[in-house]
Amino acid sequence: MRPENYSPVQHPPSHEYELYFGPNHPGIEGNYAIRVRLNGDVIQEAIADGGYLHRGFEKLMEQRLWIQNIALVPRICVPDPVPMEEAYARAVEALGGLEVPERAQWIRVMMLEISRICSHLFTFGGNAATIGLYTNMFWGISMRDLFLDLFEEITGARIYHMYITPGGVRRDLPEGVLDRLEATLDEMERRTPEFEDLFFDNAVVIKRARGTGVISLRDALAWGVTGPNLRGSGLPSDVRRDDPYLVYPDLEFDIPTEVEGDALARMRVRKAEVVQSIRILRQVIERLRGIEGPIRCPLPNPLAWNIPAGEAYTRVESSKGEVGFFAVSDGGPKPYRVHVRGPSQMHAVQVLERVLKGGRLEDVAQIMFSLDACPPEVDR
Amino acid sequence: MDVTPKYKGSFVKPLKALSHLFREPVTLPMVPRPASDNYRGFHVNDWELCVGCGTCRQICDNAAIRMIHIPGLPDDPAAGLKPRRPAIDYGRCCWCALCVDICPTGSLALSREYVHVSPDMNTYFILPDEKGIHGLNFPKGWAKTDDADLLDLARQPMPQRDPDSRGDNFDEIVHGYDDQAAILEASRCIQCGMCHEACPANMHAPEYIRAIWEGDKERAVREIYRTNPFPEVCGRVCTHRCETACSIGKRGAPIAIRWLKRHAMAALDDERVRTIALEGKVEDRTGKSVAVIGSGPAGLTAAFDLAKLGHAVTVFEAKPEPGGMMRYGIPEYRLPYDRLDADIAVIRAAGVDIRCDSPVGPDLPMDKLRDDFDAVMLATGLGAGRSTRVPGTDHPDVKSAVALLDAITRGESIDVPGRAVVIGGGNVAFDIARSLARLQRKTSGRVDMTLVALEERDHMLADEEEVVEAREEGVVVLNGRGPRQVVLAGPSDKTLGGLETVRCLSIFDEEGRFHPKYDDGDVMLHEADMVIEAIGQASDTGYLGEDLTEALEWARGRIEVGADGATSVSGLWAAGDMVEGPDVIHAVAAGHRVAESIHRFLGGGTTTLEAAE
Amino acid sequence: MTQPKNLPSSLDIILHEIPGVRMTPKEGRRIRVDSSPDSLPALLELLKGRMGFMHLSAISCVDWPETDEFELIYHVWSYEQKSLVSAHVSISRDPGRFVSVYDIHTPAGFYERDIHEMFGVVFVGSPNLRKFILTSWDGPPPMLKSFDTLGYVNETYGWVDYQPDWLRDVEGKGGGIES
Repeated sequence: MRPENYSPVQHPPSHEYELYFGPNHPGIEGNYAIRVRLNGDVIQEAIADGGYLHRGFEKLMEQRLWIQNIALVPRICVPDPVPMEEAYARAVEALGGLEVPERAQWIRVMMLEISRICSHLFTFGGNAATIGLYTNMFWGISMRDLFLDLFEEITGARIYHMYITPGGVRRDLPEGVLDRLEATLDEMERRTPEFEDLFFDNAVVIKRARGTGVISLRDALAWGVTGPNLRGSGLPSDVRRDDPYLVYPDLEFDIPTEVEGDALARMRVRKAEVVQSIRILRQVIERLRGIEGPIRCPLPNPLAWNIPAGEAYTRVESSKGEVGFFAVSDGGPKPYRVHVRGPSQMHAVQVLERVLKGGRLEDVAQIMFSLDACPPEVDR
Repeated sequence: MDVTPKYKGSFVKPLKALSHLFREPVTLPMVPRPASDNYRGFHVNDWELCVGCGTCRQICDNAAIRMIHIPGLPDDPAAGLKPRRPAIDYGRCCWCALCVDICPTGSLALSREYVHVSPDMNTYFILPDEKGIHGLNFPKGWAKTDDADLLDLARQPMPQRDPDSRGDNFDEIVHGYDDQAAILEASRCIQCGMCHEACPANMHAPEYIRAIWEGDKERAVREIYRTNPFPEVCGRVCTHRCETACSIGKRGAPIAIRWLKRHAMAALDDERVRTIALEGKVEDRTGKSVAVIGSGPAGLTAAFDLAKLGHAVTVFEAKPEPGGMMRYGIPEYRLPYDRLDADIAVIRAAGVDIRCDSPVGPDLPMDKLRDDFDAVMLATGLGAGRSTRVPGTDHPDVKSAVALLDAITRGESIDVPGRAVVIGGGNVAFDIARSLARLQRKTSGRVDMTLVALEERDHMLADEEEVVEAREEGVVVLNGRGPRQVVLAGPSDKTLGGLETVRCLSIFDEEGRFHPKYDDGDVMLHEADMVIEAIGQASDTGYLGEDLTEALEWARGRIEVGADGATSVSGLWAAGDMVEGPDVIHAVAAGHRVAESIHRFLGGGTTTLEAAE
Repeated sequence: MTQPKNLPSSLDIILHEIPGVRMTPKEGRRIRVDSSPDSLPALLELLKGRMGFMHLSAISCVDWPETDEFELIYHVWSYEQKSLVSAHVSISRDPGRFVSVYDIHTPAGFYERDIHEMFGVVFVGSPNLRKFILTSWDGPPPMLKSFDTLGYVNETYGWVDYQPDWLRDVEGKGGGIES
């Protein structure tokens, strides 16, 4: 018997409904949400909803001494913190006219590339998990842990390194760490075929990822797509090559591309990039063995350090794309303004909204991971 | 693998993952694994090294560090020790370790301990010692390294005359910093304030150093004049207790606070300095009058303060020029007279009436001063030399250092001895040795000057730079020797032959009293035409008259005064070297205290210049 | 206006076609362009259409209360020329209104929305200026210099009052936390 006050649910005639995807959803990278309007399981419209990780970093940076901000910047992107440190440090260096010693430049490249590998391993794992392949996630994370051990040894911290400082790096490399890095790279190379078997050659992955979340090169350029996502659509563009910094011009590496522009293509670009990062790291190890010298230029007393008025826009190629830092000094002891441009500000909002449209509900998580969107970078 | 779009992938290959079933697990059991050598775990702090400067708190970007006052810890402003230690709030700390990299002493480090679990919030606020958060003595992780120090431990070099260009003249040795060097030197300061508390006059050194760094010399001079009307003097000859206490000096060279003061003063012309110095001067006259006897730093500081507070102040000076020991004791190559004059001109501009050649005595008796003025301050210093009283010191060619220095300042002609020996190891001994050495070089082109000090080289009373520079100028410094007797040139020759010294084995007895022991087997003769005694000074208080001397309280030859400089006789104050022993900055500090006390006595209430500002 | 040294010669065209722009070459493939607000859309159009500056890397906003202006900086990158032009314009703070460049550069949609949210600037013609990050915030735009973060935090939140044993001991002896 139905209660007296019962009234049946009124379905809209179109059978459309809205689903709130997130913010604590296993298929979401970080705390983030997407409101999807569906008809059946086909996405009519997707609306990105951020702000769950907003920490007000840009505002906070205006209230801290130039050097204090090195503690904030790595937190802008949790899985790939080093490019943020690099971009901030280089902005301060450009404003303050600081020369980074050669050894420090090589060490910084080393950190950047290790961070890139870590981040890609993280994404491998996450991406596989979004289509139900959890083994890959365990493998990716455990492999990444070996690199985190190196981070811990070099910087004293596994995630938030706070290691790159304006003018260089904060500590010299511990004895023998280059040997251990080499061994870890060997291990990585030994494991690569297993990843290949498990993921890239996996019929399930190909079935799910091929043709999913396609971005044409034309759209990619128009929508401000950068990094592996842009290269997955076919443009061999890389800040390290086009707008070089540190000692990247002295390094040999290729810029892998794919043409399909789909989820699989983007993952294949990342896989190829890890190989290139290993190649770069082997060159860096070789060079660092022969370069002695200071790891930081002399800095003024941090408590009495005014930076000449001016502005600088620095760009770094992170594992996710183009990171940009726009720093303005009014000649004082603290930044007047720091604007952080993270690649995910495009990838996780406008690009994601567009790519999801017409896709299917079960691909939402996969598409987001294939774009390697990083919510903390969007929210800052 | 195939890259063609048609490739469908394999269903079999992923099954290779099963091989992992037979591998060692990557994960570790649930025990904390040892952290890396460089790990940034919980703080440790070596309380023996920590001086409580609080620089860690200043650099902390999260306000996670608070300084805790801990009674019972060493509390010694002169040594730069504050009884406080940092406590860390792990609800705020982000383990950036900037506190470690900036710590001036290197006491703070992060350990390799990283596990703390507790439902009790209070356990996240810790006062780290060297044992760490749980007292488990984990090894240090992230600690100070030389190549990553955030502090500049090296001082900007001071340009000065080399020995060749200074050995035969009295031109000032030190040139002073240029703007660039001064800004760089000032930028080293971490604003911990140890200097402020170490300074007898509590000068606002952090404030004026910061002003110099910002290029605002006017503000620097204003900060300096808040507490010291002798900045030109103190910028040159101050005993700089501030630098002894400086936190940067714990591992490196302390900030050159004295030279920075000098730099700020040199940057402004005398007119501008005067305007700044007289800011806050009370225009209304109080109608009260004060007499100050002696125009040294104590007397003139008090006079300056009292004049600014509206009192009529008259200073009586026995010598032809004001300044006391600053003029008649300190040689011109350390303190040019025109710079002293500049300081005194500011004091005169405040309305202080300085009457020179006016000794208190028969022509100007104390009684009259006490009748004519509402308050009288004694600041007559230590003008008389003391003698070792070893045999032969009554010889006419055995001189007192203060008398000789006085004569040199007055420009009196001195019979420059061809060979001379100075007895004493303090700054005055070096002043006379170096002055006479200059005169020797000037008259004969050669220096024959020996200085014998009781103390060993490492424990000399004089400033280190005095010893170094004197040697550069040709003075032979002999340590660990005491005078035995002055000898004549020959049995029948009444002219001076020299000084005999013996090796000194120890200076103090078990109770710490001055009681030197000598090795009589180790005797040396230093041939000389003149022997100068520079073993200390005494005050000459004969001008007080018998009645007043009787009425005053005395302790070991010095007038006893209260903390504010008041003597046991109403309306009479005493301060400066005659009370505290020789030191300009102590005299300045005492001058302030006396001025405040007199001002109160005259009905000025508790208004002070500091408060009036 | 004369051609500054070491500027790509292809940029000449800007100086010819857009009145009142000033170009300053800077270190490392960077060119600063100062333009009047009115010319900015034309400038971006020209840069994109004829010189390949098709990637809008970012739009930065700086609040200058002293001159009562917002400075907007459009960073555009050319994949062909491999250089970055930062075009600076200053607009009045009151009302902070400017024209949207979404029609020229799609990424502007996000950046304009972000600046609107953080600084309160209204971009006329921007497709979506709804709140994104500060959904439940109804205070003033927080990135304005006039917004005092620390003051807000102190007003809104308290400090934890820790009472560990060691602190009680120290306080018992007459010590304690120094202010």
